Amino acid sequence: MASFIEPIQLKQSLGDDGILFVRNDSILDTMVKTPLLVASMIIVAALLPIQSSFSSPRDLDLIIYPDGSTHISTEIDIDPFLTDYELNLFGSTIDNLVVVGDDEFLLDTSIMDDSVLIQTFGSSVITIDYDIHDLVSKQGRLWTFSLDSPSNFTLLLPKNSAIVGMINLPINMEIINDQNQLTLSPGKTEIDYLFSNTISIPDPKIETNYFSYAIIGGVLIIILIGSVIIIRTKQKNHKSVEDNLTTKKSTTLDLETIFKLKSDLREDDKELVKFIFNNGGEALESELRKKFLQPRTTMWRAVKRLEREGVIEIEKKDLQNLVKLRKNMEDEE
Amino acid sequence: MKKLALFAIIVLIFGTVSPSLVDGAYAQNDPSILLSIAVQADKQIVNQLDRVYGDQIPNNLQILYDKGHGAVYSLDESLPNDIEKAKQDFLLAMNSFMQISRIISQSSEKVVVVVVVSDKSNRDLSNELDRLVNYVKSLETISKKYDTDTESDFIKIYDLIQELRQQVNDLNEVNVGIKKIKIILDSIKNDIRESAIEQRSDFIKQFFDRLLDQIDKLLTKAQNDGVDQIQIDKGHELILEIRELLSKNQINDAKVVYLELKELMKNIGYSIHIT
Repeated sequence: MASFIEPIQLKQSLGDDGILFVRNDSILDTMVKTPLLVASMIIVAALLPIQSSFSSPRDLDLIIYPDGSTHISTEIDIDPFLTDYELNLFGSTIDNLVVVGDDEFLLDTSIMDDSVLIQTFGSSVITIDYDIHDLVSKQGRLWTFSLDSPSNFTLLLPKNSAIVGMINLPINMEIINDQNQLTLSPGKTEIDYLFSNTISIPDPKIETNYFSYAIIGGVLIIILIGSVIIIRTKQKNHKSVEDNLTTKKSTTLDLETIFKLKSDLREDDKELVKFIFNNGGEALESELRKKFLQPRTTMWRAVKRLEREGVIEIEKKDLQNLVKLRKNMEDEE
Repeated sequence: MKKLALFAIIVLIFGTVSPSLVDGAYAQNDPSILLSIAVQADKQIVNQLDRVYGDQIPNNLQILYDKGHGAVYSLDESLPNDIEKAKQDFLLAMNSFMQISRIISQSSEKVVVVVVVSDKSNRDLSNELDRLVNYVKSLETISKKYDTDTESDFIKIYDLIQELRQQVNDLNEVNVGIKKIKIILDSIKNDIRESAIEQRSDFIKQFFDRLLDQIDKLLTKAQNDGVDQIQIDKGHELILEIRELLSKNQINDAKVVYLELKELMKNIGYSIHIT
């Protein structure tokens, strides 16, 4: 029995009333140009996050002072076609408000209760810094921080403070200058903390598993490093005097030499270089931000400037930028 | 063709979903921090209970502590494999510890003092000065960028802060000093604004030009829609006034007049938005 499969798209059939049905797969081709479709979909995909990001904080960093007052630093993308922008503050007792737009252009503001009207006049990103006294309360020895945040935020707790309760999960925790810095998600946050002279170290019993892993890992790393050093030492023995000279040059330069080589560095950039130098020649960008109390983008620009100048180099370390003083600036000169 | 359309759809879906994917990945960043925080809180609670009650811990607190402490151990067991369980354990532990510390702070102190941090008299003056220094520094950075002649003012401010640090116990003296500093800072801010406006005047003028053209069109539309002619004329007058001020480089004055114009447009029901 011979049978064959007829391609369905070629099959034409007449309906009961004699209407000719034609299956046409090329309808998209005829109605829509493919590249146009692809381009428009990509544009839509690209614009969706931008649309939703207007007026939402790009960065939100909080620092709690020992007296419970809090410094807030935030950066917001705004519509550059607006003349002003009203921002809800996290309370009404505000001090030391500074709002800058693009190019650190100081913007005019007027505070109305717990909001501020900012005359943006074409700025696309605004950076807002202020101190607020409404976020922390104290009962007896117990301090409570409360915030309903619109976005992820970092919270730097005061020195010698210990968290004794919280109602939500932190995303991350780091230690910066002996202070706990938490990264928290949007929504309601409540953290109880108290000051203690003896901040406890996590229980060694509980940490046993991790310690054993760490010890095994450590031994493996030491073996690995040891073998690398042995191989390198052997290789070095064969190198010429010229190589030795190069090695000498690669030690970190002193501050005076750096500033002499880069005499046109800005004063604030020099301060950054000094800090990195005194910190053993390297520092995390987040450390620099905390030290100099600069918003993320301002510090990023400064770091990029120094990188362009050839003073530093940037490496990635645990998803963070590690800023290192370059060792071979003289070669570049 | 089909492949291209499929590709486009994938790009669209990925583009929409990717930001939430990134957040999700970040949210699981090193779950062992949960254990560190919980263990630290556990230790603090033990210290507090010891300090306040010694060996005679009230039953309700003991139950709460056992609950929290048990959750810390369970958290340790859950890590690193069962993250969801670890999160629940963390929240349970921290919630129990929070209740304990709140009960202790309410019941153990002879007089429970609820301090309102927003009340100025409760603030630490040395912290107040630290915050002021940060504020001064941020203004100093901006003023350097715009080359304002304010160096001597900043030196004066830093000297004043230095003096105030030595009188930190004298509330009145420090408050008077801070007021003095704030007055100088206000004048510095004005200088910075003037200087920044000078340097960015071209940008601001271009922005105003587009804005005023747009408002002009809106007024014409409003006229056609039958809005009161007096309001329309007033609007045109204000536009002229702003243009004149801009031509004389009086940008701050132009901004003030613009606010009046904006209010007028709002009153006649036309919102301003540059397109």
